[in-house]
Amino acid sequence: MKTEFITIRNIETTAKVVGTKIDAVRIKDIIKKGVRVYVDGKIGVSGAIGDIPDDELIEKAVENLETGIEYPFELEKNLVDHRTYSDFSMSGEELLEVTEEILEELKTNYDKFLFSEKISVKEKIIQMRNSEGLDLEYKDAWFELGLILKENSSANLFDGFLQYSGRSFDKQKFWDFNKGYLEAYDNLLALPEGEKLPVFVLEAYELNDFLNKSLNGERYSNGSSILSGKMNEQLFNDKITFGQNFDSAVTFEPFFDHEGVVLKNDRVPLIQSGKFINVFTDKKTASTFDLPHTGAAEGSYDGVPSLTTTQLKFETDSKDIKSVLNGKVAIFALVSAGGDFTPDGSFAAPVQAALLFDGEKFIGKLPEFTMRSNLWAMLGEDYIGTFDNPFYSVENSQMQGFYMTIVR
Amino acid sequence: MFKFPENLYVDVRIEETFETKISFKKMILQEQKVRNNKGAFVRVYDGNRWYYASTTDVDAVQEQIDTLAKMAKPNPEINNHPIVRQFEVHKDQLIQYKHNSITDVPIAEKKAMLERYIGLVSDETIVHHTSYYVDNKIIKSIYSSKGTDVTFDKQTCGIRISLELSNGESKDQTSMSRAGSLFEDLFELEDFINDEMKKNIDFVKNAKPVEPGIYTVLLSPLATGVFTHESFGHKSESDFMVGDETMKAEWAIGKTVGTPILTIIDDGQVKGNGYVPYDDEGTKGKKTYIVTDGVLTGRLHSTSTSALLEEELTGNARATSFEFEPIVRMTTTYIEKGNRPLADIVAEIDNGIYVDNIKHGSGMSTFTIAPSRAYKIENGKITTPVKISVVTGNVFETLGEVDAVSEEFDLLSFVGGGCGKMEQYPLPVGFGGPYTRVKKLNVQ
Repeated sequence: MKTEFITIRNIETTAKVVGTKIDAVRIKDIIKKGVRVYVDGKIGVSGAIGDIPDDELIEKAVENLETGIEYPFELEKNLVDHRTYSDFSMSGEELLEVTEEILEELKTNYDKFLFSEKISVKEKIIQMRNSEGLDLEYKDAWFELGLILKENSSANLFDGFLQYSGRSFDKQKFWDFNKGYLEAYDNLLALPEGEKLPVFVLEAYELNDFLNKSLNGERYSNGSSILSGKMNEQLFNDKITFGQNFDSAVTFEPFFDHEGVVLKNDRVPLIQSGKFINVFTDKKTASTFDLPHTGAAEGSYDGVPSLTTTQLKFETDSKDIKSVLNGKVAIFALVSAGGDFTPDGSFAAPVQAALLFDGEKFIGKLPEFTMRSNLWAMLGEDYIGTFDNPFYSVENSQMQGFYMTIVR
Repeated sequence: MFKFPENLYVDVRIEETFETKISFKKMILQEQKVRNNKGAFVRVYDGNRWYYASTTDVDAVQEQIDTLAKMAKPNPEINNHPIVRQFEVHKDQLIQYKHNSITDVPIAEKKAMLERYIGLVSDETIVHHTSYYVDNKIIKSIYSSKGTDVTFDKQTCGIRISLELSNGESKDQTSMSRAGSLFEDLFELEDFINDEMKKNIDFVKNAKPVEPGIYTVLLSPLATGVFTHESFGHKSESDFMVGDETMKAEWAIGKTVGTPILTIIDDGQVKGNGYVPYDDEGTKGKKTYIVTDGVLTGRLHSTSTSALLEEELTGNARATSFEFEPIVRMTTTYIEKGNRPLADIVAEIDNGIYVDNIKHGSGMSTFTIAPSRAYKIENGKITTPVKISVVTGNVFETLGEVDAVSEEFDLLSFVGGGCGKMEQYPLPVGFGGPYTRVKKLNVQ
């Protein structure tokens, strides 16, 4: 019998903020532990929260073998890889001091807003080890600030947010960036003229989600993906390289998948220079559909690995938004919630909060609008580029630009 | 049971959960597991600040209380604090599922039932399908320094079948789900599954892109549920209002917010996903009329917001799990049924859209509904299926655009997904209502 353990530990201290004041302090230390056993091509699983003895979990996983779920694949083996991405630390007392200081600054200089939600210090340790010599460990820690902001005069639930996630925190850089951001709210502007306008977003979630569904090896093979039958075609703008990215420095997630696979350079391109070259797979999908195995297994800590979604990212392909805009102004979509793609690739989304910017600085606040496009245009002739996020907001994140049809 | 420190308010919530998950891809079993977990959430309040801890070590709850108490500042007047005074105190053992517990149903029966249903899934356009059965039984115990000592159970079970369809270049992904409190609630779903499958096959074969624009939109009971939840439900959560004079003025009790045919209710006593016999602070679940005949008559509260806004408790303090503090959340929120037959309401629409099924919704100033299945309404008849990315409306205007609600009415529970609010997702909530007609919504 072969055994495999996954242990997840999340430690967190959070200052909860209500109305620009600390309302609560929350401490968490949660351990989740999962075990898989493998016998004669079958897999059994079990798990628990809390620090449960291994023997107890193994016994339950052995009982679970009775389900007869097949797993005829070789386990990852003989690899020890322990990576620590951060030594950031901040005590609870220090967190409260920093939070009080930030809130005092906001109360003093930005009293036209109310700020709520939380500021946290988070630590994550994820281990995967098995009886075949696999021993992986991902350790990380970071500072996370997520405050929704509401203008005092507004009847909206919220009008924007202050956001920061990073493995260090530089107060001066934080205020240098957010001063311009908050002051832009004082300058109310009309939307620029034009049917199609350049719109920039931090992490295009709906697009990433749609590509995640479309590049799933199982969906591709059974014909339900919009990309089915289009392998090796030049489908997108030739600037675009997109694929699996397990670089923990970027993702704040483990560098290995749920089958313990560690990718070469932590990446597998699926779209290379606009050409569709691969789909993502776990071991089972690769074997079933005779596809390259790309190490994209997902699952819960106590579950059987399977193929669902994976960590996909664009490679940064452009520098300096200002020079790309070449003197024009652009829209920064600050809050866009609830939009979606239809299965044939049409996209529409409301933009509940937006700012006008010149590629470097915010100019003013724009009214709400709806933006519309489709997959082929967004990643084709209307694709502006993927840039390193120029703002002091989320470490190692990206900003993307597209020309979008504006519905006023 | 616990030694509560003096001059502080303390409460402890212990959650013992039992969960089953059985999943298939086509007819092949992918996963079958049972989880039994226990965790606790501790709160200490000194009248100025709350101190929270969540732990998986329920044997160490007393240590957590003592640790948090050391962080707090003892307050001899704590019992006279308005928030502490506001807490309901109950002593109750409300174990309702002793004799019909989902934990007593053999896992083989659960698996066999799911297999029976997925055996119905068959058509050349259905190129793949995944499905699961899940259940969840939770026993919660809430103890407080004011004397609350409540233990209650609740349970849900459900199935979800997701279809992937392909008809030439036309693709679709959709799902169907039903849930209930008892295992028996999942019996006899054959007609529901066959009917949904037929509609989805027709949709992938015949749906055309919608012509974007402003339309009169008819919402199914499911879409009405999401509309109610997103367009107004979140606005009724009073934590958004605390310390905010603009919000208090905008959403003053007595203000007309919708047409006179509109009554919106949140009811924690309805069995199903939003069932809350006691909320996560130990307040009894209640029925709250948020809007009555178009007029704002109530809002949803935790103990803290109820004290700060000087309104009655409503039993809406809920947490997604022992890892989080209770915050103001909806339970089962719905528009009360009207008195007009659906057929009459449809017959009055010359050029509109019928939203039958949805993928998701969101609820900011501009709320959204992303339909997974929608149709044109032409000359009083539901006709061609149409593909829509998103339907949007303005929260401040849309309730005034509701001009018909049907006498047909359905409250629904599902598995998969739930309501998200900031970091807490997914929280099970109940959805549904009548068929609802909205004069103007933006369809893209």
